[in-house]
Amino acid sequence: MGRFTTLVAVLATTALLPLQASAQTRDVTGKVTMAGAGTPLVDVTVGLVGQQVGVRTNERGEYRIRVPQGEVSLLARGLGYKRQTIRLAANENTANFSLEKDVLQLEGVTVTGAATTTDRRVAATAVATVNAAELNRVPARSLEGNLAGKVAGARISDNSGAPGGGAQIQIRGATSVLGQGDPLYVVDGIIISNAGISSGASAISRASGSTGSSQDQVVNRLADLNPNDIENIEVLKSAAATAIYGSRATNGVVVITTKKGASGQTRWNVTQRLGTQQLMRSLGHRQYATAADALPFAGGPVGEAAIREACNPNCTNYDWQGQLYGRTDPSYETLLSASGGAGNTRYFASVNDRQESGIMINTGARRTGARINLDQTINSKLTASMGVDVTRNFLQRGLGNNNNAGVSPTYTFGYTPAIVDLDRKLENGRYPLMPFDGGGSGTANPFEVLRAIQSDEQVFRQAGNARLNYSAIATGKHSVQISSLMGFDRFQQEGVQYSPNYLQFEPADGFLGTAGQNNVSSLQTNAGLNAVWTWTPGGSLITSFTTSVGGTYERQKQDVYRIRGRGLLPTRRIAAGAQDIATEDTRTEFRDQSYYVNEQALFLNEKLAVNVGFRADRSSANGDREKYYLFPKYSGSYRFVNPLTSKIDEVKVRGAWGQSGNRPRYGDRDILYADGGLIGGQNSLVSAGLLGNTGIKPEVMNELEFGLDASFLKSRIGFEFTRYQRKITDLLLTFPLPPSSGLGNQIINGGQLSVLGNEAVISLIPVRKGKFEWTSRVIYNANVQYTNDIPVPAFPVPGSFGAAYGRNRITANTRSSYIWSNAPLGANGAVRDTITYDSNPIHITSFNNDISWGRFTVSALVDWRAGGAVSNMTNNLWDEGGQSRDYDDAAPATIIPATTNQPASAVCGTRTLGDCRYFTFNGGDTRVYMQNGSYVKLREVTLNYDAPEAWAKKIPGARSLRFNVSGRNLAIWTDYWGFDPEFNNFGNSNFNRFIDLAPFPPSRQFFLSVDVGF
Amino acid sequence: MSTINNPGALRMSKTSLRAVGTLSLASLTLTACSKDTLNITNPNTPSVAGASSDPQALQLLATGLLRQNRNSRGGFITETGRFGREAYVYTPQEGRNTSAYLIGIAGANRLDPAGFAVGSWSGPYGNLRDVFNFKKTVTGSTLSADQKRAALGFAKTIEGIELLTVIATRDTIGAVVQINQDASQLAPFVSRDSTYRFILNTLDEAAADLAAGGAAFPFALNSGFAGFNTPSTFRQFNRAMAARAAAYYATAGGGATAWTRARTALDASFINLNATSAAQYNVGVYHPYAASPDAPNPLATATNTDLYAHMSIDADAPLKADGSKDNRFLAKIGSRPTRNAPQGLGVASSLGFQIYPAITTPLPIIRNEELILLRAEILLATGDKAGAIAMINNIRVNSGGLAPTTLTAASPDADIVTEILAQKRYSLLLEGHRWIDMRRYGRLNQLPRDLTTGVNAHFVARVQPLPQSECLQRVGKAAPLAGPGC
Repeated sequence: MGRFTTLVAVLATTALLPLQASAQTRDVTGKVTMAGAGTPLVDVTVGLVGQQVGVRTNERGEYRIRVPQGEVSLLARGLGYKRQTIRLAANENTANFSLEKDVLQLEGVTVTGAATTTDRRVAATAVATVNAAELNRVPARSLEGNLAGKVAGARISDNSGAPGGGAQIQIRGATSVLGQGDPLYVVDGIIISNAGISSGASAISRASGSTGSSQDQVVNRLADLNPNDIENIEVLKSAAATAIYGSRATNGVVVITTKKGASGQTRWNVTQRLGTQQLMRSLGHRQYATAADALPFAGGPVGEAAIREACNPNCTNYDWQGQLYGRTDPSYETLLSASGGAGNTRYFASVNDRQESGIMINTGARRTGARINLDQTINSKLTASMGVDVTRNFLQRGLGNNNNAGVSPTYTFGYTPAIVDLDRKLENGRYPLMPFDGGGSGTANPFEVLRAIQSDEQVFRQAGNARLNYSAIATGKHSVQISSLMGFDRFQQEGVQYSPNYLQFEPADGFLGTAGQNNVSSLQTNAGLNAVWTWTPGGSLITSFTTSVGGTYERQKQDVYRIRGRGLLPTRRIAAGAQDIATEDTRTEFRDQSYYVNEQALFLNEKLAVNVGFRADRSSANGDREKYYLFPKYSGSYRFVNPLTSKIDEVKVRGAWGQSGNRPRYGDRDILYADGGLIGGQNSLVSAGLLGNTGIKPEVMNELEFGLDASFLKSRIGFEFTRYQRKITDLLLTFPLPPSSGLGNQIINGGQLSVLGNEAVISLIPVRKGKFEWTSRVIYNANVQYTNDIPVPAFPVPGSFGAAYGRNRITANTRSSYIWSNAPLGANGAVRDTITYDSNPIHITSFNNDISWGRFTVSALVDWRAGGAVSNMTNNLWDEGGQSRDYDDAAPATIIPATTNQPASAVCGTRTLGDCRYFTFNGGDTRVYMQNGSYVKLREVTLNYDAPEAWAKKIPGARSLRFNVSGRNLAIWTDYWGFDPEFNNFGNSNFNRFIDLAPFPPSRQFFLSVDVGF
Repeated sequence: MSTINNPGALRMSKTSLRAVGTLSLASLTLTACSKDTLNITNPNTPSVAGASSDPQALQLLATGLLRQNRNSRGGFITETGRFGREAYVYTPQEGRNTSAYLIGIAGANRLDPAGFAVGSWSGPYGNLRDVFNFKKTVTGSTLSADQKRAALGFAKTIEGIELLTVIATRDTIGAVVQINQDASQLAPFVSRDSTYRFILNTLDEAAADLAAGGAAFPFALNSGFAGFNTPSTFRQFNRAMAARAAAYYATAGGGATAWTRARTALDASFINLNATSAAQYNVGVYHPYAASPDAPNPLATATNTDLYAHMSIDADAPLKADGSKDNRFLAKIGSRPTRNAPQGLGVASSLGFQIYPAITTPLPIIRNEELILLRAEILLATGDKAGAIAMINNIRVNSGGLAPTTLTAASPDADIVTEILAQKRYSLLLEGHRWIDMRRYGRLNQLPRDLTTGVNAHFVARVQPLPQSECLQRVGKAAPLAGPGC
């Protein structure tokens, strides 16, 4: 029990103190409006300066708050507006606020602890905030898409173009080799699961294993969240900011707050969107004139016969990709929300139904969900809130990425001349067999496969949270708040795979028909208890001291069960009774306990901020389950107001140092036997090849961050710069044991990775004239990532293909982002596995622009990635199969010209371009397929029209009416050969995020929305 | 104006408030702070600590020792079979299954430590780790004293067998005979001589344990041990293995003393000198195989279609009186579609083995036919040539269908050795003996090399190298931790 118990006991005692409410209070009322326009502002928080809680304004911008007697200072703050403080004399009972728009994001609050926040302008660490309006400018498949290009320091990329999601956020580089690489996602205080678990497409595609693998276009579960319910997202990056989340925080923390109700009449909002989508970029296909051109790529006698029949005398060239990826069926999204409150109850409720059509035949995604958030004031001391969220997410993503069965369309097309019509139903109800690439069971007609197979993923998700807040003491100078929070996040994922026994590729393994059932059940719970004491002594020296203590208990439990059958009776869709059955049953569970102490102090009229704190964690994943690991943090900032000249509004310098952790994986601590298998009918136990480590402990990240924030010309220009250095030590690694010990590897802690990076944000209001306003924000980030040392021999990162296809290697004193692959860079041009390129972009910069003119608003987001190599295995496949669009183009003398550092690649001679690329690759020079992944992408464009009230009034009961036209991924400018350099065959991964292998192609999406408020 | 915040609308008494507080805090306190909450067990795989105290553990671990031994057995036979020119593994598109064994590092006359031919190392040591764990489990168990001795006798016998595999393939390199509790701590290398003495002592200790082991093992042995599944009958198997080990030691510097130990052990084994039929020669201890989820015999004629026999087995086959070939040849060798190694790495063969026709055919660990031939070796070495010739003739006549040998007690020792090795070659074909026996008598140079010139010239390996992964662990270490030959 120990210290934690003592802590809880102290908290409990505090909570049970007699209520010593100050009897002497008065009510203050007032109204909050927008500066200039004078329109009332809803949902603005009004409270006493220095205190955490306040009241919110209603739909007319009005509020009423109870304050102590005497002189008080009231503060009004709302998202997207600059805050305002009004000092009220003892006899004043009215305070009207007029807030200015906060274009430069100088205002707002930021999370500093489980129960504390601080004003953004005194924050001592770099925090990126994205509010609801910015987030939902253009609908996206999943939240990652909504955030892309809006967060400094986060690299956000889609893993493929398949409908429904599947994307990764990596904050400030890779921090672990074997451990968790995704940020921690926290919704309304509850940690949610972002697990990405295969629904079993490998059963059909054979990408890897026979049940499920990371190459199965896996969807990470952030896709279940409805971005329209979100009010605000904060991305905590540095260890000093994330230390409050302890041993799960090295990858950053994404803190999501959902919308809450405001008192007053119920406000209804209905949004209806209608959209469509189209293939953004096709790979093209080699064109054939005559049979003689095509015959070398027939792949066998069946193909030859097909070519002679098709090309008689001239071939017809088909656009297979256009046909297969040409679906433009409408997508829909319906959003309905209600928000309001009466008496002591406030609520926000929403229902959403989003139906996305995929560009590929038989693909799509549908998310349907509902959320209710309730806030209840029980009495002047006690408030409660709760939220419930229920979602069904149904995804049909078809097949894509790597495969070994001839069923991934982009893969298959690379080997097959597009000179026959495959998209044609025959009289027997079947489609033509694929005659090329052998024409046997090693290939298939994708048009038939995608219509015949079932590859579904269905998720039911429920999440809920409840919070109780007790204001133990609230005087002018002291405030003690005690809160407890409990919540859960549960999902049930069901993956169903079925491939009927008649399909062309089915005989390949000797079994006809494939069926798979994949069930995942996940439950996460957490509970926390916090006490916050704020002391506001008054006077200019000490503004406030906020001391918080608390503890948490978290559990995450996940069961995965799969059964896969091959050799099915006709039309049977279940694995039971199949000739060949494989099963998998795996459970994991984590339990974590923590406590923390946090001190945040403001001095000198809020100019100087100092924060000190630590969190202590222990976990069932650690070798020593009783030991608490400490994660300290220190940070500070100082604001210079109007330094040098009045043109400079304010300059803030900040610095932070902190530690956060990444706990061991499940089972790393366990010394296990392995299942030895049967002999003579008896089961057996033998030593496992991988030895656990009873001393395993969390990876530790030390991060030092410095920054400078400034605003100029009365907030017309804002500038934010951050430089960070992170060092991650005690990495989880597998240490090779001497074979004569009888064991293979052991999990150890050791080594060091580091990341050094810069982030900058420039916000501008270039034009503000009357009704015309143009605001612009440029977000820049760049970093370099190193492996400093490792106590084990260098090794390719887990989940790599071979040296012929390029992969990251963990090698001491080298950039961890380097791509290692075969190249003739050894002595005398000998081929060796060596560093060929860097997968890390030089920088990623995004340009956000908003122009508003009266009732019109136009916004655009352009994303620019400079550099970063991609292993284009798609091009490799298409060259091997002879189907690249540029196969017949004239080749340069060598594909890679000589530079001062590297020799030229093989001489092409008379070879054509595609031939020479593959010839060079085949000779052991993979550089030809390591291509520059630079791009400029027009991610978001939106045009919004706020209709006059008169128009709205034509709809009975309506108060507002808006029209919106928007598009996502409208254009990409790049020299890259493939679909999209952002994609990754392996889904979410710490390293190897640059493998392009026959992905589901990207699509351009268009939406038309009508939004009515009642 | 609507009321936004109306304190006191829902008044609660102080008592009820306290109750709410107490309850919510108590529930948190109870679940959150107990350290026992964090003690959850892994449901996926048995933990060493958890399984060891399970009543089933001893049986599962004992079976594990046999299963592990079986795992490396197929590889041992196909590797030594290639070195000893009994077999080829002609995998299409994989020339390294030939070159790594018959060519090695081109022109260097040695095998590549980073190549394929480094088997019979991690497999045996994997099982030695399990022997180590098994002995600890037994010692700490609640078994009776007799049962403990029986179980230890079983484990030490397996220990001796595994180490014999290691030293028979590494010979002069020596071996590691010690398993450390801490697997990351390197164990020292010991010489070939010390290794053999350690093996013989371990097997002798095992025999003593088995003798005191009561009437039954505290676990069941599989069908491969039929007739050898009690401590006393298992001891006969133990003695047979000790006889083999001592005979190996005798030709590796152990000399006369070792031959004597071999003789003593052999006499206590299950040797049957009166055997005349295949069934009697085949009495012994085997590894059973079965269809999935068990494993198939890796050498099965039906499934291992890449396994070919060396053509010299045909050319060298002795002839019976009627001019036809040796019965053993006829029984064990069949024809296969002609195949060669890819890329000109070998010569073509059209011979296959039919020793293990089905995937369920058991694989011998040791059997009576070997014991009779071991006895011939021992008798010759201890001066009883006539006795040795009698053993040879037993096998020639009954197993091969041949006429008795023309050798007599007056023949030179070397000729009798030649004859014993010839009989061992056909009697124990594809059981893992030829290469080791030829090395023991210094006759590796008599093994046929298919290609003698050019870049693909074959050589005969003398020992298997340490795997590179073992060498890398021992870089820069002083003897005895250094890796010999690294």
